[in-house]
Amino acid sequence: MMNRKLKSYILNLSAIAILFVIISSLIDSGAINKYYSGILIMIGINVIMTVSLNLTTGFLGELALGHAGFMSVGAFTAGIITKQLSASLGWDAAACLPISLLAGGILAAVMGFLIGVPALRLKGDYLAIITLGFGEILRVIIQNMQITGGASGISRIPRVNNFPITYFIMIAVIVIMFTLGRSRHGRAILSIRENAVAAESTGISVTRYKIFAFTFAAFFAGIAGGLYAHQIGRVSAATFDFNKSIEYLVMVVLGGMGSITGSIIAAAVLTLLPELLREFADYRMLLYSIMLILMMLFRPKGLMGTAEFSLTFVWDRLTGFYKRATKPRPLREHAVTMPDVPNYELAAGAPVLETKNLGIRFGGLQAAENVNLHVNDHEIVGLIGPNGAGKTTVFNMLTGVYLPTEGDIQLLGRSITGKKTYEIVAHGIARTFQNIRLFKSMTVLENIKVAFHTRMHYTPVSGIFRLPKYTREERGIDLRARELLRVFNMEESAETRADGLPYGQQRKLEICRALATNPKVLLLDEPAAGMNPIETRELMETIGIIRNRFNVAVLLIEHDMKLVMGICERIYVLNYGRIIAEGSPSDIRNNPEVIRAYLGHSDRDTKPVKEGEANGNA
Amino acid sequence: MVLFLNQLINGLGTGAIYALIALGYTMVYGIVKLINFAHGDIMMVGSYTAVLLMVNVGVPFPIALMASMFVCVFFGVLIERVAYKPLRDAPRICSLITAIGVSYLLQNSAQLLFSANPKPFPPVFSVAPITFGGVSISFVTLVTVLVSVLLMVGLNLFVMKSRTGKAMRAVSEDMGAAKLMGINVNMTISTTFAIGCALAGIGAFLYCIAYPSVAPTMGAMPGLKAFIAAVLGGIGILPGAMLGGFIMGVAESLTKGFVSTQLSDAVVYGILIVVLLFKPSGLLGKAQREKV
Amino acid sequence: MAMLEVKDLHVYYGAIHALHGVSFTVDKGEIVTLIGANGAGKTSILHAISRLIPAKSGTITFDGHPLGALDAYKLVDMGLSQVPEGRRIFAQMTVLENLEMGAYTRRDKGELQSDLDMVFSHFPRLKERVKQLAGTLSGGEQQMLATGRALMSHPTLLMMDEPSMGLSPILVEEIFAIIRDINKEGTTILLVEQNAHMALSIANRAYVLETGNIVMEGEAGKLLNDDKVKSAYLGT
Repeated sequence: MMNRKLKSYILNLSAIAILFVIISSLIDSGAINKYYSGILIMIGINVIMTVSLNLTTGFLGELALGHAGFMSVGAFTAGIITKQLSASLGWDAAACLPISLLAGGILAAVMGFLIGVPALRLKGDYLAIITLGFGEILRVIIQNMQITGGASGISRIPRVNNFPITYFIMIAVIVIMFTLGRSRHGRAILSIRENAVAAESTGISVTRYKIFAFTFAAFFAGIAGGLYAHQIGRVSAATFDFNKSIEYLVMVVLGGMGSITGSIIAAAVLTLLPELLREFADYRMLLYSIMLILMMLFRPKGLMGTAEFSLTFVWDRLTGFYKRATKPRPLREHAVTMPDVPNYELAAGAPVLETKNLGIRFGGLQAAENVNLHVNDHEIVGLIGPNGAGKTTVFNMLTGVYLPTEGDIQLLGRSITGKKTYEIVAHGIARTFQNIRLFKSMTVLENIKVAFHTRMHYTPVSGIFRLPKYTREERGIDLRARELLRVFNMEESAETRADGLPYGQQRKLEICRALATNPKVLLLDEPAAGMNPIETRELMETIGIIRNRFNVAVLLIEHDMKLVMGICERIYVLNYGRIIAEGSPSDIRNNPEVIRAYLGHSDRDTKPVKEGEANGNA
Repeated sequence: MVLFLNQLINGLGTGAIYALIALGYTMVYGIVKLINFAHGDIMMVGSYTAVLLMVNVGVPFPIALMASMFVCVFFGVLIERVAYKPLRDAPRICSLITAIGVSYLLQNSAQLLFSANPKPFPPVFSVAPITFGGVSISFVTLVTVLVSVLLMVGLNLFVMKSRTGKAMRAVSEDMGAAKLMGINVNMTISTTFAIGCALAGIGAFLYCIAYPSVAPTMGAMPGLKAFIAAVLGGIGILPGAMLGGFIMGVAESLTKGFVSTQLSDAVVYGILIVVLLFKPSGLLGKAQREKV
Repeated sequence: MAMLEVKDLHVYYGAIHALHGVSFTVDKGEIVTLIGANGAGKTSILHAISRLIPAKSGTITFDGHPLGALDAYKLVDMGLSQVPEGRRIFAQMTVLENLEMGAYTRRDKGELQSDLDMVFSHFPRLKERVKQLAGTLSGGEQQMLATGRALMSHPTLLMMDEPSMGLSPILVEEIFAIIRDINKEGTTILLVEQNAHMALSIANRAYVLETGNIVMEGEAGKLLNDDKVKSAYLGT
């Protein structure tokens, strides 16, 4: 039985080749005339633009409104270089093309980087505006520079583009987007869209990946621009204005933000349609606008949502192979690189995690003060206190979400105060959240795989070209991820979407994901919240398993006292941002201050409760 | 020096118009957290109303002004109910895209109905400019600045003192709590849109007096600049919109006078970018913290 | 006939079944309290009654009127008012303006002053801070403001969501004493609280909520001494 991957490669390559041969021969024979071949080429160019914009807007989830600006940079750069090289050096224009295109792409990428670094610090609406602003600035600058021909732009660019060139570049871009998407870098980008806070807490540097996605997208827009310049023969900055950016945005939205297949289809349809409906050219933008509105109101997911078309899947269905499922060869036969297991060195008797006079002040409010706690290896420690006591604030400080204003945090003897969240994850702290933060539209398995990010090494290049390191490491995390799920009895749900799981399972998944980063300390923020008694009991078992199997220490925030008293070995009680008690569960239960803090009082003293004793206390 | 003062005065005139339009953006953003990309195009709709009434029907300008405001309000409230209200709980990207769609819809409808050719706006005033020492203040600029400032002061009073104004502020802060007060949130939001659009209608009229030409895409640039003004001052904050508007107008005018006309757009965007990078919440805005 | 009757209320947040058929009543003149641990669903009940969130099924009847599909803002006129969890005062508005918002639905401006006087008689500290921005008040003062704001509409039923949250014990006692006074003056009170002791000490009747279900109910005094309540809170 053929290896699934090999089959997929062969199928896709054949399809690409066949399509090419068909169209090429139609063009060569004259059955498709110059006008229509021109349209096909424009479709190719627009597919590249749409797919690259989809990386930013669909995969990363950030609305970018200046994409045409990068196309512009690429177009002008490529056009100028070809003209210069062929005019002054006498090179054959066609031979210049690779250099020009590459230069255009690189310069566009540089612009993307320069714009991205400041712009991506902002979010949502602000990011959209600032990219719009930058796009317009680019346009104005280009329109006012000598080298770009001022307001009239550049003309008489050798029109050396043709169908084969465009087609193969388009295919290359599509393939790169697919392989990037399936690599750990693509997963990282998707996780940012799903839940940026969770992504950061799973070890992903959100800022770095945003800039990466933005720059990468700009690169391909630049290449598309270069192709455009060599197709049309003249470029002026006015062509690449805000309207053009919107046209590509419409294509992305129509196809489905996050679906490459959708982008291809939408780009093709929306390039073809205006040509076919030339008489209705006046109505084109009108129809676009109505379409945008209707799509957002009734089908915001677009044509494909986030789904992709799989040729292999269709083939299997058609040839009946689908029923006879191919058994994957046991992975252990292949070379496998497991994700890193960090070597945590700990001095004997020393705590794994320790805070010294930790505190934080927000404006006039001292949210936490003089917090001294420690967690020893393999301990399960509880952090409890009434609502608003500051427990999550402490967690946020431990994970680098807040910067403490006083005190220090030491992990394995080294200070981590002031480090960024994703760095702290690499150093060995993992956490879950009060409100579950899963990557909702990703599968259970993918959620876990994202967490292995810090423990992997292969580069984007490795991922895109599927070099051996990529294959080995991906196999490794696949094995490890399934192992983890098995420990938690979740292996059957591996391919289920995270938001399709029942609530209790979602919580388990979040914990499982945190463990995938191979931490030394696991912080659980109200893991039992919203659970019924049965689920809570299961959770207690789970935490027990974790402590034994995974060589971690656990610090948990909880309100469910059965859980806390049932599994914690030591408990800290927080009230008004200060620790008011520390001790074993029975110590805490009988501590009058704790009772006062929780149950309240109407008298000034409260008698301690002995276990099993009926109490007439008021 | 004379050139500087003249440019400054022109800038204040344009700035006043930007401020009026910016107020509409900022009020809407403040209450529903939506950037109404179509706001500038509402202004265009108002301009067409005025021009058609005055030129084709021969209506005197005060009535045309009223009609312009009325039409803007009508469209604004309609758009809110049909296109924005259903998306109030949807991800922000959806409302942004819808707003873009509405903007294009208005522009292209106007283009189909009235052709892309600009129509001239009839002169409304023919009063000589006031001059002293080489510095000249046109009557239009004077009226524009005066009216704008009066409207801004009036709006501020309304929002601070009136029952509806306070309701608007309450809804902007906490929609749920406002409902608990018995405030009809949907009505309040519609009122906000209405007021914002009414101001846009007046702004449109003043703009056409200063730049007497009406075209389907006329709203795009001033709309964008007014929007930038609102962000510059701190989006959601009324005094911010006013401040931002005047800064934009003056910056644009001075650039046109002292640097170059073509680069004035770039300068304007440049200011926006610099401000957003150093103070993302705008000049008068307060930083927001995400709850983890 | 009970003033408020909730029957078989089911509430979902997305896929999460937060309330599993909750039923309880509040009679005129009572203080009824809903107690339970965090996450038990207490706030969901109040949000459903105030129509801030939709109920999947079940009925809510206030003063004989089914609240069914009413818009949230209509409830104030009917005499139902809520002091929400976390207070949710309008931080950018002054103390006076917040109180005015409480009286939003009342048309006669003449009555406003007497309403204000009524609130100030319960919360003299607010009178001193009338022009202050609400966001600059301390936690306790904000709680007073939120409560006063809800009283401005002269509700027949006042619902309070965790008034003790984040307050020091002394302030909690103060607030609860005032709640008792408000009730004595004729306002029926539905009190949702995590602080079981305080709630049970002023209430007539109580219901104990656990993960979306009512697990106990009875006279507050009896529940105060019940071991089961204690173990539900502090574990065994």
